[in-house]
Amino acid sequence: MRLRFIGTRLLRGAVTLWFAVTVTFFLVRLLPGDPVLAVADPNMTEELRAKLLADFGLDQPLPVQYGEYLLQLVQGNLGMSFRQSIPVTTVLMERLPWTLILTLSAMIATVVVGIPLGVLAATKAKGWVDRLIQVAGITAQSLFVPSVGVFLLYVFGVLLGWFPIGGAVDPDATGLAASLSMLHHLVLPCLSLVFIQLGGYVLTMRATLIEALGEDYVTLAKAKGVRPASVVWKHAVRNALLPTTTIAGLQLGALVGGAVLTETIYAYPGIGRAIFEAVGQLDFPVLQGAFVLLAAAVVAANLITDVAYGFLDPRVRTS
Amino acid sequence: MTLTAAEPTPRRRTWEAFRRNPLGTGSAAVLILLILVAVCAPLIAPFPEGYGTDTSQPPSGAHWFGTDDIGQDVFAQVVWGTRVSIMVGVSASILAIVIGLLVGVAAAYFRRLDTPLGVLIDLSLSLPVLPLMILVAALAGPSVRTLVVVIALFSWPEVARVVRSQALAIVPLPYVSAARVVGGSATWIIRKHLFPGVIPVVGVSVVLTTSRAVLAEAGLSFLGLGDPNSWSWGAILHKAQMSGSLASAWWTTLFPSFAILLLVVATTLLSVAYNDARNHRTR
Repeated sequence: MRLRFIGTRLLRGAVTLWFAVTVTFFLVRLLPGDPVLAVADPNMTEELRAKLLADFGLDQPLPVQYGEYLLQLVQGNLGMSFRQSIPVTTVLMERLPWTLILTLSAMIATVVVGIPLGVLAATKAKGWVDRLIQVAGITAQSLFVPSVGVFLLYVFGVLLGWFPIGGAVDPDATGLAASLSMLHHLVLPCLSLVFIQLGGYVLTMRATLIEALGEDYVTLAKAKGVRPASVVWKHAVRNALLPTTTIAGLQLGALVGGAVLTETIYAYPGIGRAIFEAVGQLDFPVLQGAFVLLAAAVVAANLITDVAYGFLDPRVRTS
Repeated sequence: MTLTAAEPTPRRRTWEAFRRNPLGTGSAAVLILLILVAVCAPLIAPFPEGYGTDTSQPPSGAHWFGTDDIGQDVFAQVVWGTRVSIMVGVSASILAIVIGLLVGVAAAYFRRLDTPLGVLIDLSLSLPVLPLMILVAALAGPSVRTLVVVIALFSWPEVARVVRSQALAIVPLPYVSAARVVGGSATWIIRKHLFPGVIPVVGVSVVLTTSRAVLAEAGLSFLGLGDPNSWSWGAILHKAQMSGSLASAWWTTLFPSFAILLLVVATTLLSVAYNDARNHRTR
């Protein structure tokens, strides 16, 4: 049963990834505009143009190109960067760890802060604390990531000087100092992402917990004389956590988009910054590769939450 | 029109409930104000272009929102930015809603299309949209039209998902079968029987899709994919980032950021208020 459950989820992930790859492949090929114009100057000779087309395999019929692209992709080859003449995979793999550090730390911090806030709002439902948390949650969901980033950068980086205003690590630091410097550089970008993510978690946690607190098993626990804190945390929160796991999956796309914008502001050397640089240089293979890689990351993360959810809640597995 | 006094129509009841909610009316007022600014931009401030003499000045009586590093008035930038941001947001959202409505209703009404369209919607929703929009916008070249099309192209699945689930509840109802039995064509049934049922849901979706489109436009423009010949809120932030005044001249980023926040909060609260007013049980 479990194997079949994991099997179907794996298949779904693979189909999603294939869809992402196919959509980008055809979008790039079918849009107007000559990809060679992007690499070279428009006044080049006809022979040079033909040679460039052949170098990038752009003179082949479309289905052949597509087959070749898929074949290369399976081997982890995302093509060559137009500008830097090195494989896109090399460019992006250098950047991937930074983006993973940033997004994962933001996700963990959001959960650690968001769940207690949601619990607080739900247990004080209709009071002023609850109202305040709700309004703050809606406002936080409406924030534009770069605005938050710039605000934090200005206040804590420029005015107070508590945190560095860009980069990911002090290049001169080694050993423990390097790790500390990494954390120091991580605080502001991570906080920017926490701000925009928090609203969704808090509001969902609040809504599901209020519902759970009205269930019969909660009344029973109270009647048995279980301590109120224990009723909330041991009985109700455990059940309310499940829908909140779904939010984590749903917000992945927004988290990745937020990371792209945040990295741009803080000159954080992740995939997002690579995207920003590639936009400026019209380096399409890097843009395409970055999307494929981020899509793969989202698919993998979704797979993990799905399977985790299946283990936490047996009803999901059997249905 | 002689029987109006006895039982108010549902539409009238929704409106009455909406009017009593200060959050809803306040948000509507803010949105109307922003739209007025967008429409009347030429009357409020001259189009910001060229170089000015007062560079990087903080807000003052002469320049309410200060000036940027080449001496342009930030207030004028924000006013003209309102125009493009709202125009792109509204056009992209209309386009996305038309596509989403058609796909959603088609998926619900035609059984054979439901599986492929449903899978397509689910797949599109699970991908990280911003990097995809960036790729397409960069390929198509920066212009207002590109922004509208690209944002709409990747925003319709959200609308289609909502419309499909609503339409799936309507299709099995007896009056739809009755319409089929009397020999109504598919287009007629969809237009006369399905659309009226899904439109109220789409009503909420219009404001939310618009605010998401405004955010998407701001994100793309911030990354340098905006129209180089016009101002939008994201474009102001992009120029501040490129000139390095992002960190030093707070007024170049605060005011456009505030404009974005104002619009998105107002649309969110408006949709919350509208939903509350429409849902007669929660009142």
